[in-house]
Order: sequence, then structure tokens, then C-alpha cells
Amino acid sequence: MSSFAAPTHLLPTSTFSRRKLSSTTVPARSSSSVAPRATNIQCNLSPSLPSPQNPSKRNKNILKSLSKPLAIASAAGATLFLRLTPIIGGEGGGGGGDGWFGGGGGGDNGGGSGDGGFWRKLICPESAIADENNESQEWDAHGLPANIMIQLSKLSGYKKYKLSEIFFFDRRRGVTVGTEDSFFEMVSLRPGGVYTKTQLLKELETLATCGMFEKVDMECKTKPDGTLAMQISFLESTWQSADRIRCINVGLMQQSKPIEMDADMTEKEKMEFYRSQEKDYKRRIEKARPCLLPATVHAEILQMLRDHGKVSARLLQKIRDRVQKWYHDEGYACAQVVNFGNLNTREVVCEVVEGDITQLVVQFQDKLGNVVEGNTQLAVVKRELPKQLRQGNVFNIEAGKQALRNINSLALFSNIEVNPRPDEKNEGGIIVEIKLKELDQKSAEVSAEWSLVPGRGGRPTFASLQPGGTVSFEHRNLQGLNRSILGSVTTSNFLNPQDDLAFKLEYVHPYLDGVYNPRNRTFRASCFNSRKLSPVFTGGPGVDEVPPIWVDRAGLKANITENFTRQSKFTYGLVMEEITTRDESSHISLNGQRVLPSGGISADGPPTTLSGTGIDQMAFLQANITRDNTKFINGAIVGERNVFQVDQGLGIGSKFPFFNRHQLTLTRFVQLKKVEEGANKPPPPVLVLHGHYGGCVGDLPSYDAFTLGGPYSVRGYNMGELGAARNILELGAEIRIPVKNTHMYAFVEHGNDLGSSKDVKGNPTEVYRRMGHGSSYGAGVKLGLVRAEYAVDHNTGTGALFFRFGERF
Amino acid sequence: MSMASQIIREWMGIQQFPPATQTKLLELLGKLKQEDVNTLTILVMGKGGVGKSSTVNSIIGEKAVAVSTFQSEGPRPVMVSRSRAGFTLNIVDTPGLIEGGYVNYQALQLIKRFLLNKTIDVLLYVDRLDVYRVDNLDKQIVRAITENFGEGIWKRALIVLTHAQLSLPDGLDYDVFCSKRSEALLKVVHAEVRGKKNDVHGSIAPVVLVENSGRCTKNENDEKVLPNGTAWIPNLVKTITEVVLNGSKSLHVDKKLIEGPNPNEKGKMLIPFIFAFQYFFIIKPIIRAIKSDVAKESKPGWK
Repeated sequence: MSSFAAPTHLLPTSTFSRRKLSSTTVPARSSSSVAPRATNIQCNLSPSLPSPQNPSKRNKNILKSLSKPLAIASAAGATLFLRLTPIIGGEGGGGGGDGWFGGGGGGDNGGGSGDGGFWRKLICPESAIADENNESQEWDAHGLPANIMIQLSKLSGYKKYKLSEIFFFDRRRGVTVGTEDSFFEMVSLRPGGVYTKTQLLKELETLATCGMFEKVDMECKTKPDGTLAMQISFLESTWQSADRIRCINVGLMQQSKPIEMDADMTEKEKMEFYRSQEKDYKRRIEKARPCLLPATVHAEILQMLRDHGKVSARLLQKIRDRVQKWYHDEGYACAQVVNFGNLNTREVVCEVVEGDITQLVVQFQDKLGNVVEGNTQLAVVKRELPKQLRQGNVFNIEAGKQALRNINSLALFSNIEVNPRPDEKNEGGIIVEIKLKELDQKSAEVSAEWSLVPGRGGRPTFASLQPGGTVSFEHRNLQGLNRSILGSVTTSNFLNPQDDLAFKLEYVHPYLDGVYNPRNRTFRASCFNSRKLSPVFTGGPGVDEVPPIWVDRAGLKANITENFTRQSKFTYGLVMEEITTRDESSHISLNGQRVLPSGGISADGPPTTLSGTGIDQMAFLQANITRDNTKFINGAIVGERNVFQVDQGLGIGSKFPFFNRHQLTLTRFVQLKKVEEGANKPPPPVLVLHGHYGGCVGDLPSYDAFTLGGPYSVRGYNMGELGAARNILELGAEIRIPVKNTHMYAFVEHGNDLGSSKDVKGNPTEVYRRMGHGSSYGAGVKLGLVRAEYAVDHNTGTGALFFRFGERF
Repeated sequence: MSMASQIIREWMGIQQFPPATQTKLLELLGKLKQEDVNTLTILVMGKGGVGKSSTVNSIIGEKAVAVSTFQSEGPRPVMVSRSRAGFTLNIVDTPGLIEGGYVNYQALQLIKRFLLNKTIDVLLYVDRLDVYRVDNLDKQIVRAITENFGEGIWKRALIVLTHAQLSLPDGLDYDVFCSKRSEALLKVVHAEVRGKKNDVHGSIAPVVLVENSGRCTKNENDEKVLPNGTAWIPNLVKTITEVVLNGSKSLHVDKKLIEGPNPNEKGKMLIPFIFAFQYFFIIKPIIRAIKSDVAKESKPGWK
């Protein structure tokens, strides 16, 4: 008897032995035909692996569903696996162990109430045979006259027969059914296969005991070419019609064991036996937990029952498929229908093993895969796991993926595996294993580069060769609590590093409230510097070059970030910095410069700093709150994002700077059409509405003024081309229309200084002849990471093509 | 004080005017003295090349400031002071306010600094008569002046239109043209001043025509006259006198005016309240909103 072929791939030994067991219990069967009315049937339906082709399909699905996390992994430089050992095999095996059926008598007085007859069916046909017997194998001719019908038992036990054709004949309907019939999947024999008599008999036995058929016969017709044409004729099992269905979770319960019935039992004894079985089953139903199955699916099944009238094997198959489909669609990858009970009663019982998690194991591995004691504290990993993955819940693959993503975002591991496997000690239970390979705690990196600086006459010389590069180090996962220190120094010229030396030193301390506290606050302290070109000192249209002003910042920052969700967070802290403004030749610059019509440069522009010395020091509080409810629908971002940021000066620093600088950004991504979600489905068209208000009360040095114009302000203009002001308002709208694999968009934007340019000391907007406001419109297309857009600047009415990286909103 | 350092010369140029003009001027000066006005400071501003310096010279009656015909004029403001019988006349000639098609804010700043601690009695806003159109630039200049000196300056202002002896296209009446041109300019001034406040009552900035050219027609008294027969120098001085005596206040240029109000000081007292407001009415509600988001987040089926 072949069964469990698909599972066999996965759980070889144990299943094989069980298969044997099941074959031994066959004889008990025929009772279902003896007393069909009272039969109580358990179908140990195979999970979703009915045909040999299916396992691979299924694996493919798993792979597909995993492709996302895998992609994340590769981006992060780590490898992730979500390995699903198909527990299904184990399950099936568990149930399969008792592939028997007790006959159901007592129907006469049971009056339709189900009684203790069980049988258990093993649909899982299999490829075991098919696999063993490859099509290319040698075969023997039947050696019989052509075109005669021959019983299976008449075949020679020493020959290998080739089946050139297989027919299924439905005796009830009196027709030959095609391969599309749901029963076909239960037969492991395939046309063209080579089989021995034993195998064929086994197959017949399997079919006969699976419970789907009241009667199955195999007949062979000899063909002139020495092959056989097989006809499998069957009578489908049917039971009394039912109008109720009850789904129960029988996971972690003892599977009902077959009890051998003594053939010598008297009628009375048999009755006793059936009655006790019935009682047991009732108790079992009562003990079972309710299923997760929602009312809608339940109703659907009820409808199926009603439509069908008689409960037939095919109907049960359909119900099984429907129930399993729901589970698998919802991500309950380990759920399966193991049995149908109470057949021949008004209420059919569908027994489901949902895949309850009995244990969660976190394991660290070294590079060679040996289990080691990890450096990371377990609590750090455990707090990343969704509740659904903890003990006592039903295993869900989505939760597994979530866990994978969450753990990956810790950036502590080079390899993460979330691996559900069947619990050997607890039938129907799942052990979730999380295997982690830790990254090295310490890493240091030096990268060097040479740059050629054009020397005299534009030609590079030896002296103009500049060695540059970055030195960085990182010490991760201090004390196993994911604390880290990282630092880097970058310069484009090691020989003269004072020219441009960028450094950063950061300490990150997560779980500020303790690793067991669900509150997720992270403390960060850093020491940094940066150098940026000030957009405040930029000319308006038609103004020739305005000599640039560089703003160097160096300072300390300490803040606490509270993550409410993955996207919404609140950060607050203290910033102390020194700001130095320099001109092109790195000399400290007190005022902005301008080019006179005569060609000379006058340094009487707006003051660059608050102190007027070119160097400001200040300390201020900074708070930023982001409420981000955006999500991706088929790759298009939809939802809303609100950000409020405030810098509150403390009056500490040069000229006692006291100010309140605030910004509010509101962005809405409005989905314009409902779309079906799923891979490869087109994204919906989206309307983006954006508003940004920035304002400052109190001391406002030029470098903190809000600038208008630029790719993240008003497109179509250069950074700061529209002005620098104390209060600004930016409004934008963009419509995104999906086209093929990307999207096109059109936008309108406006930026306005609200008349506050004059409230910036020295009025840089006016000095550099800027309008103080401006609009633009345009259209573009997204090409991978790059946006190509044509934007028309409304002030001059001219357009230009821009290429930008990343998103505007 | 810079005024003291300036040598105040005797107003000799007045003697060069024809006797008729002299009489009228002395009469007007007398009138001013009667009203206890012993000093008169006139600020002359306008675009470059419209005849500001020539007008100054015409009023003084001598070549007191260099006229740079084709050049952008004197890069710095110049003050010419003349006294006559205890009466001092100061005229501040300034560089043109336009540079490269834009208002030259540096020049304005320079003028303001030059005027530090001086009191401006009259502003002569000079433009040419023989221009047919008023453009955006005119608006910008008027706005710049208003922003830098305040609206009040227009109550003490005269609009001086030079090159008054122009040859008009056929069929255009001189008086009609003059009034149209003045109207257009006045409209700009009104728009700028009125645009901000509506309390400017009465007519502001009378328009005066001027012809600085040596070939200017003269009348029987040897006075320079306009095509309509008015002797323009006495007329100009007369209008200035009227403006001085029109009851408005003259403008004292102090440090505050030069630097403008310090925007950094504005609202500083409110900062603690603003911060408290932001905390309680923006940050807190957003946090609450996030928490409710978390609570009612549409959980996937398995959660």
C-alpha cells in the first residue's frame, strides 16, 4: 500500500514504517459498506499534497513567498532563510499510523446518530512507486494474447508491467472520468509507468482503504505491444446528507488509535464496542478546541453541504480543500484537515490540526553551523518576535516572516532561519526553531582613494595627487544588548586633513527602559561635523554667480528616540554645536558676498552668523515627532505622514540665541482607485498632497533660515533660488499614474516666503535678487531609482529636464 | 556730526538767477523763515540718468555736483550745503537706485547710512517726463523707498519730472501728456502706499516739471520756462515750500531707521508660550493619535 509519497521526501524513515502499519490494519475496513448509515468515518485526508506534482508546487509557493525576506537579506548583506520543513508529512504520518477503519454497525438503532465506526483514510497516494520505477526502466511484455481483460490477481508476480493507459471508470455515473477528476490525484500510477504486480496490488489496497470508495477494482487489458491498459473502476463512497458542519482543532490531542476488533465478537459485543467508540468520539469532540475558521468559510461549507444533498467522498475532498485553502491563504502553513468524523449524521465533524506551537527555541550557531552560546541576550531576540510565534499559538508563516524581518532589522546576524518543525513528543505540535549566526562584534574598515586635482593649466601634476579615504570602526552588540559604538573619519586629503575632515562618533543604546520593557526607547549620543553649501547665499534668476558660503557645523548631539511603530516615532534631545561660515577659500566669512557689476566683489552682504564673527555657538533642544501611517500597496505608497519638528533655543551660546524654530509637514498619499493586492498586480494611481510650513520666532542666523526652491522644496528651481525667509509655506500636489512597471507623474508646486524674507537679517532674498515666492509645474517618469522630470519654472516660464535620485515626498 | 564737518558755503549761485527768479526765491525763503524753518534738507532720489544731479545744480544755481552723463553717477551720496541770510539749504544727491535692471539695495543702504542723524525735510523723487510707460521697476523703486524710509516720506515728497521740454509726437497735447504721465507715476506711489494702509489722506506728492537743459526756453524775464510758460525754478521751490509747510513731519534718520526693526527681537517674549503651546497642542495630540493608531491598527488575520 503506497501512501505518503509526498511526505516521504521530507520525513523518510518514520513515515515508511507507518505506512506499513497502516497496511496491516486494512482488513477492518469493509464495515463501511456493511453498515453505511451508521458509519462514523475519519478521513485522514492528506494535506495539500495530494499528487506527486504538488510538493514541488508547494515548495515553489513557499519559495515565492519567501523571496521578499530574501531580498531584504541580500540588501543587508545577510542571508535569511525561512525554512519550512513540511510538517505536513509528520502530521500525515501521525494520522496515517492509524489508517484503519472500524466498521460501523449499530446504525439501525443509532437512528442516524453517528456511532463508533471509524475508518481512516489515507489519501496520500504516491509517488513512492512512481519514483522507484522510472519510466525509462526496463519492462516485460505481458506475454498474453492482445485485447483480453485480465484480473490483477492473474498477473505474474515476476514481471514488470508497463501501463500505457489508465482509465477511471465511475460505476455510479457509468462514465469514464478524465484526469481532471479530483479522484485522479489519489492514484499514484501514471500512464507509461512500469510496475510490478505487488505494487499494483498495493495501490489497489491503498485506494480501497482510503475511504473515498466503497469499491475499487483494477482490470487490465492486454495491448498488442505488450503493455497493459488499466481500468480502475470505482464506486464512490456516500453517506447520509448532513446540514451542519463542525470544525474542531484536534492538534495536540491524542489521535484516535485504531482498535482491533475481534472478529469473534457477538452482535451484542459489537454493539457495545461501537457505542463505546461513539462515546469516545463525543468526548473527543468536546475536548477539542474551536477552529480559527471564520464564519464566512463555515457558511460556504454549509452551502456546499446543502447543495450536494448526499455527503460524498468528492464533497469531503472539496470541503477539505476549501478549509485548507483558507488556512494556507491566511498563512497557517501547517494547518491541515486530518479527518472527517460523524459521517452519516446530521452534523459532519471536520477535524483540523492547525499547527500549535509547543515550543520556541532560539539557537545560535557559529560560522560552521555548530550550536554555540551566543553573545546576544535572548531577550533581545525574543522581543522582536510577534506574539503569534510564541508558545500556544498557531504557527503562521506570515508571523514567521515578520519575525525574520524584525530580527533582520536588528542588524546583528548574518544568517537567520525561522524553522518550524513537528514536535516529536507532541502530536500535531510545532516547534519553532530560530537559528541565528551572529555577525562579528568588532569591525574596522579602511578605504583609500586617490584623487587628481587639476593643477596649473588644468593639467594634473604629481603634487596634485591627493590621497583620501575613510577610516571607520564599529563595535556592535556590546553586552549582547545591541549597544554599539561606531566612528568614522573621512577626508579627501590625508596630507592636509584640516581641509575637509568629516568625522562621526556615535553611541547607540537601545532598550533604554530595559530589554523586558515593551517600551522601545533608544538613546543615541553622537559627535559629528558636516560641511554644507548654504542655499541662503544663492542668486535669483539672472544673477551671475553669487560667491558661495560654506556652513561648517561641529558638535554634540544626545537624543532619545521612542519608536511607537516601525514608522512613527518621537525623538527629543539636546544639540550643542559650533557653526562656522566660510567663503570659497575656507576663510571665515562674516557677511555674504556679492559680485558687483564692475566685476569686483563686495563683502557687505547679509551677515552669515548671529554673532557677526563668523563663528556661532549654540545649544538647543530638538524634538521631532513623526506620525507615519503609510503603507505600500503593490509598490505604491498610500496613507498619510505628518512630521512636526521644533528647535528650541536655550539662550546658551554666542549672543545668547533664544529662538523657536518649527516646521510642520503634512503629506497625504490618496489612493484613487481600489486595486487588488498581490504580487505583480498593478499599483493604484495615487494623488499626493503635500504642505510644509516652517517658521521661526526669535534669533535667526542666516544658516537657519528656511530656503525656498530645490528638488525637495519647489522643483524646477535651484536650491534657494526663490529666497531665504523666516516663515515659509510650501504646497505641492502630484499625481502618479502607473504605467507598465513604473509610474509617470505630474506635479504642481508653490513656495512662498509669506513676506518674511525681510525678517531675516540683511534680507538675503532681496540682496541676491530673488522673488521670495514661485511656482512650478511639470511631469516626469520614474526609472528605477532615478526620476527624470521636466519642470517648468513659473517665474521665468522656462522649463528644464532634471534627473533626481529618490523620492520627493 | 557729519553736517558740521561740511563747509557750509554762502549761497552764491542764487545771484546767477534772473532777478525775477531771485525775487521769488527770496520771497519763498522769507516765508519759510517766518514759519521758523531755518534749515531745509532735500533728498534727491531716483533711477540713474534721469537728471538728479542736474536738478540739484539747477536749484543751487551752480555746478555743485558733477554730472556724469553716461556713467552711473557718483557711487556715493553727496550733500551740498548753501546758506543765505541765516537760512541753510542742504541737498543730498544720491546714486541711482537701479543697477542691472534691479533695485540696488546696497545703494539704498549706503544712502541711509549717509543720512544717519540727518533730518529729511523733502524728498525729490526724480524721473523723466519723456517716458511713456510705467513698469514693474518703478513699482519696485517706490516700494524700496517706502520700505526703507517709511510711508510718511511720501507726504514729504515731490515727484520731479525732468526733460520737460520734449518734442511730442503729432497730435498729442502737452498738458494732456504731462497729466497722464504724472497720473501713471502717482498711481504707482498710491498703490504702494495705499496698498498697506488706507489712512493716507489728501493728495500726496505733487508733481513738478523740470528742464535742466541749457537750451531751455526763456521768457521775457530771462527765466527758464516750460513749454506751458511756467518758470520752473521758482515753481519748484514754491512747491517745496508748500510741502515743507503742509503740516506733516519731516523724517529724522536714526540708527533704528537704518537697520530697520530687528526681526530677531520680534516676539521673543512669546517664545516660552509658543513652546508650551507646541508641546501641549501639537506634540501631545500627535502622540495620542499615534497611540490610537497602534491600538486600532488593522492587524493581519493571524494577529
